[in-house]
Amino acid sequence: MTMHSLLLAGAAVSLDPLAWTVVVVGIGIVFLSLLVVYFFFRYILTFILNFKLKSFARKKGIDPAEAQTARTIQSGEVNAAIAMALYQYFNEFHDVESGIITIKRVSRHYSPWSSKLYNMKNL
Amino acid sequence: MIALLVITSLAWLAFVKPESERHKAQTESGIEISAASPQYQPDNQTEEGFLAGLKQFWAFTGFRNVTSGHLIMILVGLIFIYLAIRYEYEPLLLVPIGTGILIGNIPLFTDGGMNLQVGIYQQGSVLNYLYFGVLKGVYPPLIFLGIGAMTDFSSLISNPRLLLLGAAAQVGIFITFIGALLLGFAPPEAGAIGIIGGADGPTAIFISSRLANGMNLLADGTAVKNLIGPIAIAAYSYMALVPVIQPPIMRLLTNRKERLIRMKPPRAVTKTEKILFPIFGLLLTCFISPSALPLLGMLFFGNILKESGVTKRLAETARTSLIDIVTIMIGLTVGASTQADVFLTKESILIFGLGAGAFAIATTTGVLFAKGMNLFLPEGSKINPLIGNSGVSAVPDSARVSEAEGLKADKTNHLLMHAMGPNVAGVIGSAIAAGILLSYLG
Repeated sequence: MTMHSLLLAGAAVSLDPLAWTVVVVGIGIVFLSLLVVYFFFRYILTFILNFKLKSFARKKGIDPAEAQTARTIQSGEVNAAIAMALYQYFNEFHDVESGIITIKRVSRHYSPWSSKLYNMKNL
Repeated sequence: MIALLVITSLAWLAFVKPESERHKAQTESGIEISAASPQYQPDNQTEEGFLAGLKQFWAFTGFRNVTSGHLIMILVGLIFIYLAIRYEYEPLLLVPIGTGILIGNIPLFTDGGMNLQVGIYQQGSVLNYLYFGVLKGVYPPLIFLGIGAMTDFSSLISNPRLLLLGAAAQVGIFITFIGALLLGFAPPEAGAIGIIGGADGPTAIFISSRLANGMNLLADGTAVKNLIGPIAIAAYSYMALVPVIQPPIMRLLTNRKERLIRMKPPRAVTKTEKILFPIFGLLLTCFISPSALPLLGMLFFGNILKESGVTKRLAETARTSLIDIVTIMIGLTVGASTQADVFLTKESILIFGLGAGAFAIATTTGVLFAKGMNLFLPEGSKINPLIGNSGVSAVPDSARVSEAEGLKADKTNHLLMHAMGPNVAGVIGSAIAAGILLSYLG
């Protein structure tokens, strides 16, 4: 075995702990990062938005529970159903026309602007 | 016969006539042809005129320089184009990559190290300049900007627990990393190979351009291998094959009862929540893993452009023209970088094997984690494990697979909107994993 291959083998052995560190820390950090985002949006943001709503309701003199109900947003399915109904309604909505065709006679006053008389040389 | 005559005439006009005229002019003006000139010299110096010119023409043609490797790679390129057109497997990627493979494997005259400034690896060529965006990791963040501008995080905001499925599927990256180390790859190379498990082409290119670029030096003084081409091709190939790879694993790991689980419809999300998600998502994830900044920064920036509602023009450009331009560049240059002598190696075969394993492991861990979460969730809030596969970030193909498999079990159970949650979480998760690999191995 040459010195070079011995060095390489030594390097491979010493890299093993690093590899396991990368794996454990890597998986841990990926989970931690997304857990932090989860907790923020599941609890902290909900808390902040509710707090804001309650203070708004208090200012306006509305019952906070009532304001909460008013704020409750319909599910996507309900919204989709409303949108679909509106779409269908407006698609079936036509202008009502009389069906009578008329020819309107337009009377114009005399205008000499294009009169041939004025364009001809009166020789 | 006519064609032969035409080719011969063209060859004479292109090579023999100018050459003989130049030679005549030099003789008349007393200029000696330098021995060190890079001009191609025919083997037999005594041959002159028509025959020498023809030989020179022949020496420069692809027919003279072709090797079996070139032909194999051209066949691979044709298969990519065929799959894209016939089966519509990721056509926006496979057509540029397939054409790039054809371009990169046109045999060039390189005797004596001659640089015609044509090939992608030849300094000064147009393709080499375009390849700069891959080598220096310029294109992937721009693609992330476009992805951010077209991604709707609503499903994730309405059900944030789905974020964890995006994290679970990233386990595939790290198990593949260990597998690559066991197969003898150096740690930076193994890290770049592992990222294939993230099922994210731009991330795979970004990491391989940093870790396995053929330039970085290892501890023993040797350079890492250039694995950008094989890794990118493996990542994009398996992304295109998501509808083939994932369903059998999903069916194997779930029973009929689990496949029939109906999930609560996601609630509508307020505009405030949509604006706050990219801002806090950026701050929270990048504070934990700053190395993921180039990717996550651009992803969330793109999403802020979309959700702010006041930068519609910028968001529109990012999600249409910009991402299209960058996709063309990245697809073509990655394809062209698969030159036979660089690509057809033992390492490439190993990378393809590891890549398949990475996708399978990522799908498995995603589905199993969803099943594990169900153990702790109350009745009525359970997750259909068929969306676990969407944790790999092949957007939106893996979510489409969830939808298709869900419909096979129950024709009225649509899982697409639920699957988009872990799908976009997977994009964030794989970018964080990439950042960690960079910080340790870069």
